[in-house]
Amino acid sequence: MSKVLGILNFEPSYVHVRGLEDFRPISATSILGRYRVIDFMLSNFTNSGIEAIKVFIKNRPRSTVEHITRTSYNLNSKRGKIQLLNGDTDYSNNDLFNVDVQAFRAYMEFIDVENPSYVIIAPSHFIFKQDFSEMLDYHIKSKNDITILYQNVNDADKQYLMGDLLNINDHKRVTEIHKNRGKYKKASVSLESYIMSTLTFKQLVDEAVMTSSLYSLSDIIADCARAMKIGAYQHHGFSACISTLNAYYDANMQIKKEKELLRLINDDWPIYTMTNDSCPTLYKKGAKVTGSLVANGCQIEGTVINSVIGRNVVIKEGAVIKDSVVLPDTLIDKNVKLECSVVDRLSIITHIKDLKGTKEEPIYIKRGDRI
Amino acid sequence: MKKNNMVAMILAGGRGSRLFDLTKKVAKPAVHFGGKYRIIDFALSNCANSHISTVGVLVQYESILLSSYSARSSTWGLDSKGGGVYVLSPREKDETGLGLYNGTADAIYQNLDFLDQEEADYVLVLSGDHIYKMDYEKMLQAHIDTNAEATIAVIEVPKKEASRFGIMNTDKDDRIIEFEEKPKEPKSNLASMGVYIFSYKNFRKYLKEDAKNAESAHDFGKSIIPAYLADGLKLQAYRFKGYWKDVGTIDSLWEANMDLLKDNSGLDLFDPDWKIYTDDAAATPQCIGNKAQIDNAFITQGAIINGKVNHSVIFSGAEICEDAKVDESVIMNNVTVGKGAKLTRCLVADDVRIPEGMKLGDDKSKEILLVSKALIAKKVGAEHE
Repeated sequence: MSKVLGILNFEPSYVHVRGLEDFRPISATSILGRYRVIDFMLSNFTNSGIEAIKVFIKNRPRSTVEHITRTSYNLNSKRGKIQLLNGDTDYSNNDLFNVDVQAFRAYMEFIDVENPSYVIIAPSHFIFKQDFSEMLDYHIKSKNDITILYQNVNDADKQYLMGDLLNINDHKRVTEIHKNRGKYKKASVSLESYIMSTLTFKQLVDEAVMTSSLYSLSDIIADCARAMKIGAYQHHGFSACISTLNAYYDANMQIKKEKELLRLINDDWPIYTMTNDSCPTLYKKGAKVTGSLVANGCQIEGTVINSVIGRNVVIKEGAVIKDSVVLPDTLIDKNVKLECSVVDRLSIITHIKDLKGTKEEPIYIKRGDRI
Repeated sequence: MKKNNMVAMILAGGRGSRLFDLTKKVAKPAVHFGGKYRIIDFALSNCANSHISTVGVLVQYESILLSSYSARSSTWGLDSKGGGVYVLSPREKDETGLGLYNGTADAIYQNLDFLDQEEADYVLVLSGDHIYKMDYEKMLQAHIDTNAEATIAVIEVPKKEASRFGIMNTDKDDRIIEFEEKPKEPKSNLASMGVYIFSYKNFRKYLKEDAKNAESAHDFGKSIIPAYLADGLKLQAYRFKGYWKDVGTIDSLWEANMDLLKDNSGLDLFDPDWKIYTDDAAATPQCIGNKAQIDNAFITQGAIINGKVNHSVIFSGAEICEDAKVDESVIMNNVTVGKGAKLTRCLVADDVRIPEGMKLGDDKSKEILLVSKALIAKKVGAEHE
């Protein structure tokens, strides 16, 4: 593989994951019990053989920094490098990181240092499995200026909203890029992953910055759709754009099914994450667990149906958890009934015995809440 | 806290022949345990949690996996500068040529140069095949406080079982006055746990003398401890209260796994202040299917459960297919229990595939059935590779 730099972009402004986002960027949000959202894209990078990676973080870097610095992602510990580049920790004073190209330009010297021939820019709010080395081969072979990863979907009216839709001609050329305002069910959605030469990347960044202070990389690429040779590379399989709490909830629910799970994560394509050194999970006498994904370190006495249970969760006798996502280190006390809820980390539910959301509108329980 | 100058030496070279097929290609300390662990994780994690930074692992029998596993010091956080896990296998030496480890004391004797180099003041000798959680730092403090030359950790065992152990007879201050290996009529119920602390200076001297003695068994229990006693050196018993198990047989290995299902076994793996560390598998969370029925189980990540699991421990990557039933069993790494298969009181070795519908084990049998690839091959009548 030619020298390639992986750039993990921060979430664009359309991403609003109610509740969860108040505590960490979407990239550091716990998903499927034991992962963080970012693990999927970083494992895509390292499984594709990319050794140099820059992770851009818009704000609240603490959780991402802690997580990434303690996970090896199977990189060679000397040759490989994941560098974290973050904006100001003060949210109000963070103009630099309002749009991605401003951030790229501010840190361009760190990109130059790697001296890459190509850059792959991937999103931090998507989950999918993609071998970028195959995509790069395609990019080089087809002599594109830019290659965009996309997927044909049937639910663009509900998912991937405010992301990009691609018009693609018979020659796999992108002729137009426009925002997804939910008008079409069937569409080719951009998975916001781009491959281009470093030279093209730098030109685009400069051009975007000059055009408008609100311009992002995807905006400038959309502008260039006619002037440049932009190719489309099709993704097959599962993808999820975690842009809302509903999308987050749905992604958990979909991936937890055995078939989907093993397609996304397997021995040939492991997803790396930070170990917590939790012991296995103890299912005590009387526990009933079905249709669920359970992380290690849990102690379960109650009933769990069709849910995702994070690390070190304690579920007491008589508690019933249904269609819910429970993040790590929470306690669900005796006889609590929980349905269609997202319970954030470190919360304790003991007094409120009935919490019921809907699949369309799940309830969110705040991090560290004691209710 | 400041690190103490005690070097741990883990005896991990034994064959473990009473584990039969489990230890055919793997040394006993590397055998899987408790869902996600290997047996040696307990000794190594205890060392790390006791602020010991230098650990020697003495290997000999089938050591490829054990050596590469132990050498990854960072697994247990034992990778600080000046410390680490040293895999000590028998080596060719300038003066004596190549010699295998001939007894536990000989194994340490052959590595005195290592202990010299580490400038050890105290040497902690451990077995690599015991399941327990113990703070060796406290034991060292007792060793120093009592001014002992050697301190031996002991655990009270039921009197009628005492004849299975090395028994320490002590005076009222817990000074050891006599040691009896598997006595027919035990005088006390203080069993040696195979955990020793020696002050290095005399330890070095006694090991050297023992090495000269061609008659000696070069064993701690049979040679070194009796020599200390004979010369009137101060040997102190250190009473340990808590869970401790030697997992030397299929039955005891199964039992120790079953103990993890109890609320009050005394072995608390959930304690965040004394974690047992192990190699982290890049595995999925536990995937529990719609038809699964789990009643009292200890299950780790990477397991897929679609059948019935009752009172069992399921290891990483194991799959229990639909309509399969697993009762009172230990299902080790990457085992597949095929559709409709029924297992009762079994211990299934790594990577075994139980064919659909096969029934193994018996709820009335006293002994636990070890299910190996060879057994399955025999059962299906196919030729074994």
